[in-house]
This record gives sequence, C-alpha cells and structure tokens, in this order.
Amino acid sequence: MGSDSVSFGRGLLTRRTFFNSLAAVGGASLAMMGMDALGFGFASAMAAPPALSGDARGTRVVILGAGLAGMTAAYELSKAGYSCQVLEARSIAGGRCQTARRGFKDTDLLGHTQVCDFDEGLYINVGPWRIPYHHRSTLHYTRLFGVPLEVIVNDNDAAYVYFQGGSGPLAGKPIRKGQIAADTRGYAAELLAKAARKGDLDQPMTAEDRDQLVAYLVHEGYLSPKDLAYLGTEGRGFDVHPGAGLDPGPGKPSTPYALKDLLDSKTWEVLTSVADYDQQRTMFQPVGGMDQIARGFERHVGRMIRYGAQVKAVAQGPKGVTVSYLDDAGKPGLVEADYCVCTIPLSVLKSIDLQVSAPFKAAIGQVAYAPVNKIGLQMKRRFWEEDHFIYGGHIYNDIPGVRTISLPSTGWQGQKGVILGYYAFSGEAAMVSAKSPAERAAFAVAAGQKVFPEYTESFETAFSKSWHLDRHNLGGWADWSEESRRAAYPVLLQPDGRIYLAGEHLTYIGGWQAAAIESAWQQIARLHARVQAA
Amino acid sequence: MRPTLLALGACVLLAGPVAAQPDGHAMFVDNCSACHQQTGRGIPGAFPALDGDGFVTGEPSAAARTVLFGRGGMPSFKNDLSDAQIAAILTYVRSAWSNKAAPVPETTVAAARAGSVQAVHGLQAH
Repeated sequence: MGSDSVSFGRGLLTRRTFFNSLAAVGGASLAMMGMDALGFGFASAMAAPPALSGDARGTRVVILGAGLAGMTAAYELSKAGYSCQVLEARSIAGGRCQTARRGFKDTDLLGHTQVCDFDEGLYINVGPWRIPYHHRSTLHYTRLFGVPLEVIVNDNDAAYVYFQGGSGPLAGKPIRKGQIAADTRGYAAELLAKAARKGDLDQPMTAEDRDQLVAYLVHEGYLSPKDLAYLGTEGRGFDVHPGAGLDPGPGKPSTPYALKDLLDSKTWEVLTSVADYDQQRTMFQPVGGMDQIARGFERHVGRMIRYGAQVKAVAQGPKGVTVSYLDDAGKPGLVEADYCVCTIPLSVLKSIDLQVSAPFKAAIGQVAYAPVNKIGLQMKRRFWEEDHFIYGGHIYNDIPGVRTISLPSTGWQGQKGVILGYYAFSGEAAMVSAKSPAERAAFAVAAGQKVFPEYTESFETAFSKSWHLDRHNLGGWADWSEESRRAAYPVLLQPDGRIYLAGEHLTYIGGWQAAAIESAWQQIARLHARVQAA
Repeated sequence: MRPTLLALGACVLLAGPVAAQPDGHAMFVDNCSACHQQTGRGIPGAFPALDGDGFVTGEPSAAARTVLFGRGGMPSFKNDLSDAQIAAILTYVRSAWSNKAAPVPETTVAAARAGSVQAVHGLQAH
C-alpha cells in the first residue's frame, strides 16, 4: 500500500486500486474487441476444428465412445480421409447428450427401470442443457448441422430465491431475485455514496473524482440524488402496478426490504457483479431437446458406429491396436486399427483391460467423478407463468439435494411444462440417488412446494437421472482435485503408444459439451501430425 | 479459518459430547449407500465392496483422504461433510458387516484435510 491508501471503515480502499478496477471494466471490454478481431478473447479457446491438411495415408482409427468427443473425432478424421470405426456401448449415440421424452428408457445400477411417460412434445435434458454464447466450438456444429437454437433464460429477476439457511423474516420465503438485487445494491451504494460525500474518502480523491463516484453510485443504486437515500425503485416492482386512467393510474410503489433482513437471509449469495464465466446470461438450447446435437452428428457419422458394443480390452503393439468387445448378444468381436481415440469416461475405463504403461493406468485410477442428479417434473399447468409471471430462469435455493429448480424456456404459455426439479451434484446427489424413482419425485415435489403453493397439485409424472448410477458413465463429469490435476492430468493428455484419450475430462472446461469437442479437436490434431511425420 | 473452527468444535464437545456425536450408520445410508449399498457389498465393476475390504479396515488416514478428496470414480465429500461426520461414517464402516477395525477419531480426518484448499460451492455447475 503506498501513500495513496485511505482508511474506509475498517478496510482499506486505495484510490489507485479503485480507479484501476473501474478502468479495467472499460479497458477490458475495449481490449476484448481488439482481441476478438484477432480470434482471441472472451470465448472458448477453440472456435473451429483443426485443419487436417495432407494425406491420411489410409490410416485406420478406432474410436471408443459415440458421445460428442467420439463423434467429433469421427466426423473430422473421416473428412480428412481416415478410415474410422466407432464402438458405442449404448444403443444410442450422444453419450451424456441425452433427452428424455415419451418412451425414453433408462435402467440404473440399482435396477430401477424408468420409461418416460411425459406427454408428447414435452422433454427434459437429463445431461447437458445449456450452451453459453461463447462456446463457439459447440455452436460451430449446431450451425454446421443445422440444429435450430432458442435462448434459454439463464437469469431472471422475476424468479424466486429461496434460502432457508439464513435467519430473519426473509429466511425460508420465496423472494424475487430482482428485489434482492435492487435493495442490497441500493443500500450498499447508499452507504458508500454517503461516506464519499461526507468526506470519508476525500483524502486521496480529487473533488471531481469524488463527485463522479457519487454520481455513479446514485445511478447504480437508484439513490435519491439529493440525500443519497435508497428508498426502492420501480425495477423491483410495484404494490399496485401503474396503468390506465386514474385507477390504477400511477400505481403504488413497493417498499424495499430492510438491509438487516437482507443480510440475515443470506439471499445476497445469488448476487455477483457479472455472471460467472460459464453462467452467461445469454445461453442457448436446441429446439426440441439437447439430443438434437447428437442426432446432427449421427446423420454424418452414424454409418461408422457399431452400437451395443461394450469394449472389454484394448491391446497395442508397434504396428497397431486391437480392441475386443462384446455385442448386444454377448458375442465377442475384434477391431484392428492403426490408432485408437478413447473417449470412455475414466470412471469406466479404469475397469477395462487396457494395455498401457503403469503410470498411465495409475493416472486413470486417480480421477474422481462427480455424482450428478437431475429430475424432470411434468406439471399439468404452467402455474409459474400464469400465477407468478416467471418465464424461464432458475429458482436458486439452499435445499440440500435440490439447489436449482429451473423453469422451462420453451413452450411459453402452453398448457403443460416440464420443470427441472433438482440439479445437484457431489455428496448430496449421492444421498438423493439412494431413493427409488418414486421417492426421488416425492422429494423433489416436496422441495418445490416450499416455493410454489401450486407444485404438488400440479405434478403429474417424473423422470430422474443419476449419472453416477449409469454404468456407462459412473459420474456426471471428472471431478479434478488439485493433486490429480497435478499428477494425473498431464500423463493422460499424452498418448500412450497408439492410444489417445479425449473427452470432457481432459480440459479445464469439464462437463460442458464444448469440452468434449475441443478435447477431441486437440487430440486428433496431434494424431494427424504424427501420421504426417511418420 | 481452521483454528477458529476447531476451537468452536472443542466448545461444542465440552457443552454436550453425547448430543454432538453424529450417527455414522444413518449418515452412511444417506451419503454412501447409493453406490456402496446398505449391505456394504457395492456393485461389482462399478462401486467397490466395503465389507471385508483391506483398504477400508487398514490405515485410517488413507480411507479418510479417499472420502475427503475422492479417488477413482468416488467423489470428494470435503465440502459436504465435516471432520466429525466423516470420522463417524468411517468408524461405522470399519465395524459394520464382517469388518472389525478400530474407530477413527475426528483428529485423523482433520489431519488428512489440513493443507487442502476449501473450494467455494458455486450456485450451479454446467
């Protein structure tokens, strides 16, 4: 801290750090425009597949797994002249890119079989459900394959926040997010503006700087310019909405919550200056279900896929690889190739007889996978739209095992809709998944009832998915610890002989479809460079 | 942060050591049985058996690290369970079914956790 430090309450605010951070807002956005023009900037690291120029030299590649990583590899390699064979354990392509709609069947490791009985046209994306606007790799293929997109509402000021863990009169009550944002930020702006005007910040600031800071805070917090008080704002809603004539005429303004009540409620945990990098306000979803992306790939590479083929062993020698598998009927089969691109999740791969070095094998076993649960709840009436005026977005909550309830961003104003009833991961997801499908639905409905009084009476039928109980995944995504990221990750990025691993697990954007695609792009580019150099 | 929390824990124990004791069996059913099964026999090829497993009944800090940080397909529970809860679950697992290993004190779990960075739970994942 230099000579321009200033005491602000109990903390320290320096003029330099304050104005540097303000400048960073404008500066960064300006810098980004320039960087984007050069192909860098605020977007997934890779925007287009690698150019695999040169001759494939008749090279044969066996690809394990027809998820997005495997199908990306098959699509790009075959386009470059490689001969590709894909082995897929399931009877469908897509991996985790699955959509449950009427007739969709799932049996988990506990032996629970569910057949989705949603009404025609309704669905739940049980795997990936959102595409941030900056995942240009995913958007590359949706454009290429003509998969129509629609916006998913990822942030909705009208949506409720429900926190039961706090205290005070707002705890355990559904509160609209916009009201929490307006009031919390309004009061924070008021406190800072008053301190600034009183001269508490004067020492390091010129009068002009101080006036501009106050002007910004008045703007940011909807303060009264005269006395810098926060008294509420139209954006948080009205007690009586304004309208025609004299009644309702100008309406009646709403009253802000008390600062102490907001702080005690802990609902401010949903507020951040901007959205997280991967929680952008602008996100997309394919019209009709996320599996439209899988179908798009399948239209181009489906002829290369052998379905129902469970890989049992991968052997390799100086000349090539041999993959043995069992087909649906339990009949063994063999595929011989020059190279192998293996996209099987590490959680499953660790039990497959893989002829690789001891350190590579050990690295596979070091990586944890996250238990992940989702449930779709079909509601006979769109009460969240009709009674609460909430169109899409999420009900953030602190109910263990639930965490996110999400309202559909499709079928607006229709009769029925499917709500994402919970989306939880890690230990608390393991807890809920021990229940039967009917008990999971009851658990989800009871949680939603705390937020919406119409929940239970509107519920019709459910479809739940626990990714750690799916024998082809044994987890939602790789859950890297500091130790495994340091010790195992670099080992697994290198090919072991003729075997290349690819998938969401080998990225720093894990769990997203962009991760699967970009990992495949990276590994096939290296494979291709090796073929060219041979 | 840790010293403060440990000091608080000590106060709680002094105030009511019996009431503060977490129920290892109930927490095993809630947190672990979806994969390892209530029988402790796991699901072959997917989730390992805990009954009669040498790793489970062996050196307790290795088992504590596995629950805290995950391993193989197993998730990390370091953000979901306290040291006392993990100790209670491990103690249950090491003495349930045919297992007959010694209890695991909370201090063993605390030592295994020490030095790790406590991740902040985001509102959502993907």
